[in-house]
Amino acid sequence: MGDAVVSAGEPVLRIRDVCKSYRRRPVLRGVSLDLRAGQLVGIVGENGAGKSTLLRILVGDLAADRGVVERVGVLGSCPQDAVLHQAFSVDQHLRFFQAAYGMAGLDRAFELLEQLHFSSYRNERVAALSGGTRQKLNLVLALMHDPQVLLLDEPYQGFDWETYLRFWDLAAALRDRGCAVLVVSHLAYDASRLDTLYRLQAGVLQETEQTGSEAVPV
Amino acid sequence: MTRWWSCFRTALRFALIEQARNRLALLIVVLFVPLWATLAFTVVARTPLRFRIRSVGRTVVMDGNIVVQINGALQALSLVIAFMMFVATARSALFDQRLVRAGYPRSCLALAKCTALVLVSVLVAAYATAWMRLFWRPEQPWLLAAGMFTGALIYGGIGIVLAAVLRSELAGMFLAIMISSIDLVLQNPLVNPNADSPVVRFLPACAAVQTSVTAGGLQVVPTSCLLLGMGWAVGMTALGMAAFAVRTRTHRPRTTQGNLAGVEQAAPVP
Repeated sequence: MGDAVVSAGEPVLRIRDVCKSYRRRPVLRGVSLDLRAGQLVGIVGENGAGKSTLLRILVGDLAADRGVVERVGVLGSCPQDAVLHQAFSVDQHLRFFQAAYGMAGLDRAFELLEQLHFSSYRNERVAALSGGTRQKLNLVLALMHDPQVLLLDEPYQGFDWETYLRFWDLAAALRDRGCAVLVVSHLAYDASRLDTLYRLQAGVLQETEQTGSEAVPV
Repeated sequence: MTRWWSCFRTALRFALIEQARNRLALLIVVLFVPLWATLAFTVVARTPLRFRIRSVGRTVVMDGNIVVQINGALQALSLVIAFMMFVATARSALFDQRLVRAGYPRSCLALAKCTALVLVSVLVAAYATAWMRLFWRPEQPWLLAAGMFTGALIYGGIGIVLAAVLRSELAGMFLAIMISSIDLVLQNPLVNPNADSPVVRFLPACAAVQTSVTAGGLQVVPTSCLLLGMGWAVGMTALGMAAFAVRTRTHRPRTTQGNLAGVEQAAPVP
């Protein structure tokens, strides 16, 4: 899978002066950010601030008008809307992505299913799953290959409180394994769980002050 | 086994599962084809109709109910295959994009879709031919199946193309019905006594209709018709696959094998 050896603290994602406009409406006006191995970073911003646009550029869905994006290591990404196939079961999704990632086995994926408490749904088709369970599968597909850079767009939407807490435990565990995690959301509860929190405002990324366990107003 | 083959086998298996899960399409095939074959053969008048087979330069005279049955079977197949391929392509568009981004070889996904189209077309064409054979004896049953297969393949390709340019399933099906109606109604000698007009040869299913009617009443193989039909099928499928390639393209950020610390000059994002 082309894994690169990355030491903790080394930059794994470098974003420099990324700009993007839709027609004449500028959305990103020179976004710059360094993401390091073993770092858990959050980006908050109002609806329509350009968070998803930035993530789409980082994963390669969208081309930036200007700027530089460099990455070291294997990427995992969890899109905002669960991108799944209605016709396939949870297990079939895992098999498909096993082939995509070129993985030998699915041990890590099954471990994640256990951690998110939905192993019992393995044979269920996506069409029969609740919104929250689909989001869990959406997340597992992003994590199952042990990426070194993980980009999560509103990853906990639809989660109940218990799952929400489990998500943060999982994110912390990934950080401890040396994964660089970037969480994008329209609001950030538990900002204290993040190493750094940025606010995307008027197309520019600014570091914010941490506000403990409270929500960060956007 | 190489990774490519392993990915292709996985993609093909899932493409077939996807088609098998389209219960409405399967129901239409299983019930509608025999219903049409029965109604067309028993209700339509047997009045002999003349049909010009342009590629072999001969005119065949067949019972009207048989010609209408052939034409109607082709319309049923074309619509159902267009529907199946449209739905499969449209519903998996974002999922395919995610798979490609995750590293799935795009060629495997594209080839698996084409192979699934061929396999489904073979099955459906054989099924329709078997039903028609219950009512009358075509001169060349295999050629009749080949004609049905060609029609199914062409409209499967049209379904893929429509899915690439339209977002709404309703719009896709509406367009498929309109195209198929114009195409096959104009080639029905019962509806259009001038069905051998030179303009008709430019319609997508012309080769399929000509091949199928030849199979019903003559002992010759219209090679040029078969080739024309294959040309349409390959052309449509290639267009659909080109659209698939465009839709699943990625703008990969620059990736580095070492570390980023020492990188001063970097390439701009395309």
